[in-house]
Amino acid sequence: MTVMVEGLTKRYGAKVAVGNLSFEVNPGVVTGFLGPNGSGKSTTMRCMIGLDRPNAGRATFQGKAYSALARPLHEVGVLLDAGYVHPGRSGRNHLRWLAASNGIPTKRADEVLELVGLEAVGGKSLRTYSLGMKQRLGLAGVLLGDPHTIILDEPANGLDPEGIRWIRDVLVHQAGLGKSVLVSSHLLSEMALMATALVVIGKGQLIEQSTVADFVARHGDRWVRVASPRVATLVEALRVSGARVEYLDDTTISVYGATAPEVGDAAARYNVALHELTTVTGSLEDAFLRATASVQEYQGGAR
Amino acid sequence: MISTLRSEWIKLRTIRMNWVLVAIALAFPLAVSALFVAFAEVGSFDGADVFGLLSFTTVVTTMLLGVVGATTITGEYGFNTIRPTFAATPNRLRVILAKMLVVIVVGIVTTAVVVVAGLSLCTAIASARDVDIDLGAVDGLVEASVGLVVFGTILTVFGLALGSIVRSTPAAVAALILWPLLVENIVSGILGAVGIDNVSKWMPYGAGTQLWTLDSPDAIGGLTEGLGRVGGGLYFGGVVVALLLVGCVFVSRRDA
Repeated sequence: MTVMVEGLTKRYGAKVAVGNLSFEVNPGVVTGFLGPNGSGKSTTMRCMIGLDRPNAGRATFQGKAYSALARPLHEVGVLLDAGYVHPGRSGRNHLRWLAASNGIPTKRADEVLELVGLEAVGGKSLRTYSLGMKQRLGLAGVLLGDPHTIILDEPANGLDPEGIRWIRDVLVHQAGLGKSVLVSSHLLSEMALMATALVVIGKGQLIEQSTVADFVARHGDRWVRVASPRVATLVEALRVSGARVEYLDDTTISVYGATAPEVGDAAARYNVALHELTTVTGSLEDAFLRATASVQEYQGGAR
Repeated sequence: MISTLRSEWIKLRTIRMNWVLVAIALAFPLAVSALFVAFAEVGSFDGADVFGLLSFTTVVTTMLLGVVGATTITGEYGFNTIRPTFAATPNRLRVILAKMLVVIVVGIVTTAVVVVAGLSLCTAIASARDVDIDLGAVDGLVEASVGLVVFGTILTVFGLALGSIVRSTPAAVAALILWPLLVENIVSGILGAVGIDNVSKWMPYGAGTQLWTLDSPDAIGGLTEGLGRVGGGLYFGGVVVALLLVGCVFVSRRDA
């Protein structure tokens, strides 16, 4: 694996921002980094690249600490906040100082500027950039050194729907090239479309690392939607067998605690015609809220 | 190191405020000295007076250079570009060193231009008025001129040092101005009042000004009772280097 985070702990005074956090980021997929606001995602990222000193633990990139990378932009591209620019500088000059610091030729700065669609405004001062334009510029900076690892903190922030789609396509493409991509976001629906793997944290602690599919399966609700002209008979039968039923309208119900085959078998036994029989899976958002709520309860109880 | 230097140079030259500061730093002493030589009563001034005025107004230049030095680091903290900077160059001491070398070049070039252009301009204006200010007859002119360039250069590093300690532009600029104008006088005044005499020569900035003080007895401050040109310069330079080392420790230790 490309990125290993092991036992990372960061305290600010008495407050534990990140506690004994371990996870890994593998090449070839986009790994979503999920957590409620204030859960320590940005702190983790800052510790990973040595901006903040962790109290314990470490992060390594292909076995090396970030501080040991001679020209880090060639190995790890990081965008923590698109607002980390000097407003008086032009977008092109921002990329040029960044490029120069790692011995990257000036023409590469122009290349990535074109890549993110900012070539027309490259000479304008960053004061005039919208947040979406700054996000694009930030991504250009990440791509400057063609790194094997990409780390982005809330990259979709401030982008319009088209911009969000664009950044998603870029990241999925980069992952497809075999790179390791770690993206934090609070836009969970976005994450569901983009990420394959997930690292979920709450209050600085790892809740779980898994694939998106496993995570949803484990924490998301699954239920069966059934429509039938004689739905009342079916409800009677299902309740007897221990399932929980909610009416959606006169002929449609949601069944919890029974699988679609079980509902179908029951309907056949009572000779009830079915007009719909669908297994419904809860969204990533539901799963995420459920998973983090449990940790917060646990933490509250432990206090 | 070359990459970091190139990067820091790009940063410095792509901030318009730096050009404005350097332009004022160049224009102020040149304009004041030229106006003086152009309009002062003929026979009321000689070469030592011209250099005295030029060097004294160059104090403004050196202050502005200090601001340039300070903002190379405080501006980065202010706009948070310090984070991409340290992400691109994890070796923070290398970043500070590169900033120091870049502002030293700016300091040398700016003050050297002020001295050379100022003296040439004043000589030209004087000779147009048929006045011979005879700079060759001024004792210690070359030494004091070199000293002025060194002084301006130390001030840029002084600004960088203060900036890396306090991290905020207003605080760094305030410290840069109040230290020479107020703090040194107050400290030596208080120490004098409690009976500790002869401390003013140990005030670093004051000692540093001897770099450009002429040898003549009527020159401001005079060189007779202080640490001398070389001694005062080394002492001030040493204090500034010590401050920069403190700044380096702070920058390395603190979370960016």
